Amino acid sequence: MDTDIVLETRSLTKAFGALVAVDRVNIRVRRRSLHAIIGPNGAGKTTLFNLLSGNLEPTSGQVLFKGRDITRQPVHRTIHLGIGRSFQITNIFPNLTVFENIRLAAQATGGDNFKFWRPAAHFKRYEVRAWEVIEKVGLKERAFALARTLPHGDQRKLELGMILAPDPEVLLLDEPTAGMAAEQVPELIALIQDIQRSGEKTVMLVEHNMNVVMSVSDTITVMHQGRVLAEGTPAEIAANEEVQTAYLGGLYQLSM
Amino acid sequence: MTTSGSSFVQRYRIALLTLLALVLLPFVIGLFEGASPFEVWSNQSGMSRFIQGLAIEIFILALYALSYDLIFGFTGLLSFGHSMFFAVGAYLTGIALKSFGLNLWQTFGILMLAALAQALLFGIVLPRVKGITFALVTLGLSSVFHIVVMSRELGDYTGADVGLQGVIIPDFISPATERLRLYFVTLTILVVFYLIYRRFVDSPLGRVCKAIRENEGRAQMLGYNTFLFKLAALILSSLTAAIAGALHTIYQPIVSPDIAGLGFTVTALLMILIGGVGTLHGALAGAAIFRLLDFGLRRYLGESASFVNGAIYVLIVLFLPYGIVGTWQLKASLSIAHMRQGWQRLLEMVGVNVERRASRE
Repeated sequence: MDTDIVLETRSLTKAFGALVAVDRVNIRVRRRSLHAIIGPNGAGKTTLFNLLSGNLEPTSGQVLFKGRDITRQPVHRTIHLGIGRSFQITNIFPNLTVFENIRLAAQATGGDNFKFWRPAAHFKRYEVRAWEVIEKVGLKERAFALARTLPHGDQRKLELGMILAPDPEVLLLDEPTAGMAAEQVPELIALIQDIQRSGEKTVMLVEHNMNVVMSVSDTITVMHQGRVLAEGTPAEIAANEEVQTAYLGGLYQLSM
Repeated sequence: MTTSGSSFVQRYRIALLTLLALVLLPFVIGLFEGASPFEVWSNQSGMSRFIQGLAIEIFILALYALSYDLIFGFTGLLSFGHSMFFAVGAYLTGIALKSFGLNLWQTFGILMLAALAQALLFGIVLPRVKGITFALVTLGLSSVFHIVVMSRELGDYTGADVGLQGVIIPDFISPATERLRLYFVTLTILVVFYLIYRRFVDSPLGRVCKAIRENEGRAQMLGYNTFLFKLAALILSSLTAAIAGALHTIYQPIVSPDIAGLGFTVTALLMILIGGVGTLHGALAGAAIFRLLDFGLRRYLGESASFVNGAIYVLIVLFLPYGIVGTWQLKASLSIAHMRQGWQRLLEMVGVNVERRASRE
């Protein structure tokens, strides 16, 4: 057992009827690495994330977290294991404040969830944690605004804050920059890099922006039609002819 | 100490004034009739007794509305079977007192067990159905209960379609001889439950319930097993509604099968819509308005009252979409823009195409 591998899939498969969205995928994610998943739309990236986070049950195959089989864990257990997941489409509590969104995320793993006889404000550690995270993602000025009133870019930061709050070991980020204005992207990417390095975390990232992927990733897995087409360092992927012809060349445009 | 004391009074002055008014109400009403507080105390003022009765009904409805606000307003569970929670309490109390001759405390014990059991029954379907499907399944469950209490076979206990009659209420809490005491007992129970609810919805557990209402999938991803939180809300709601049902039997003291029907669930929904969904004090205000409106209109209009009643509710929902308390909390005062919005909703409802009208103008 390689202790350097934190997350691993074995022949992971998900079929929706005749469509095999994820087809016998084997991926090994090294501890404290930034591992990007790229591929054209419909390649199965988000489905793969849904299988890893427990939002979907695989048709066959296994997911291993630190060597332990977590394949059929219910979705609400994922964060307790130490895996946080963000969504491509912003997924927040629209009518709660930014602060409460993040405080709830911090409370979830603390073990005080059923203490109905005390006000939530009594449990200071979640509030302290929420403020730390709010500061980290740069939403301090908007802390008491309702989440739905935030501009899209700030909602993406909130989404990131919600998975940071319980301090998971592994972050699964599904297009964290989706829909963001181009000038906001570098800031968020720098934040993710900072979190990964200073927090010694493992980050799995789905991202369409090739410049971002090439500059930040330790490892890149290229998916195509549900399968792993190639895997390697950014340099290796850039030099891979198969990827060049199949993906970075013509096919990407074709499948758009 | 004094500063924190006075800020407490400052902060809760409306609630405290309301409570004070309710404590004094029986005696003040007595004075109108020339009855001294002592006469009221010994249940001799007829007008005061009458008003006490009306107030007791409102307290019971308020308790029932609170229990619905917890699951619908705070947790987002749309149940169409809520009347069953109330009716189980009402019938069990009547049957335990009448057919089995149990005392109030034994009855209370059985009631709590039954309330827990029915919350668990609703809980069984919780993980499987969501939204409108949950509403329909709960409607099915409560319809079965309605049919059971109406059935001839159980007529000896439930009184079938006539209803449960002739329940002997223990003297010390009898609405006939000790009405003022019953008034204060009911008021106390309501206040205690209101305070429990206030605490509950602001506790870690209650905050998760709100998160479930907002976005259940996200709450699960955050690590909450949402089933358990919804079940907790259902259990507290069921206990509360069952106690409201028990008080209903004690006060009436008859039980009509109507309270097991869908109509009575709609009553709960209506009360919190009038008062404001997800506010708790909206449930209290809604219950008072609902009962007083019904009483007042029935008195002056007779049977056509329900027609006018319905129209008033429609207007409240159109012009005050957040309910009375909710609108007030949002500081969305009755501005002209607000009125116009309500007017437009009314026009749309009766089929006038507002956009076309606007484009013609």
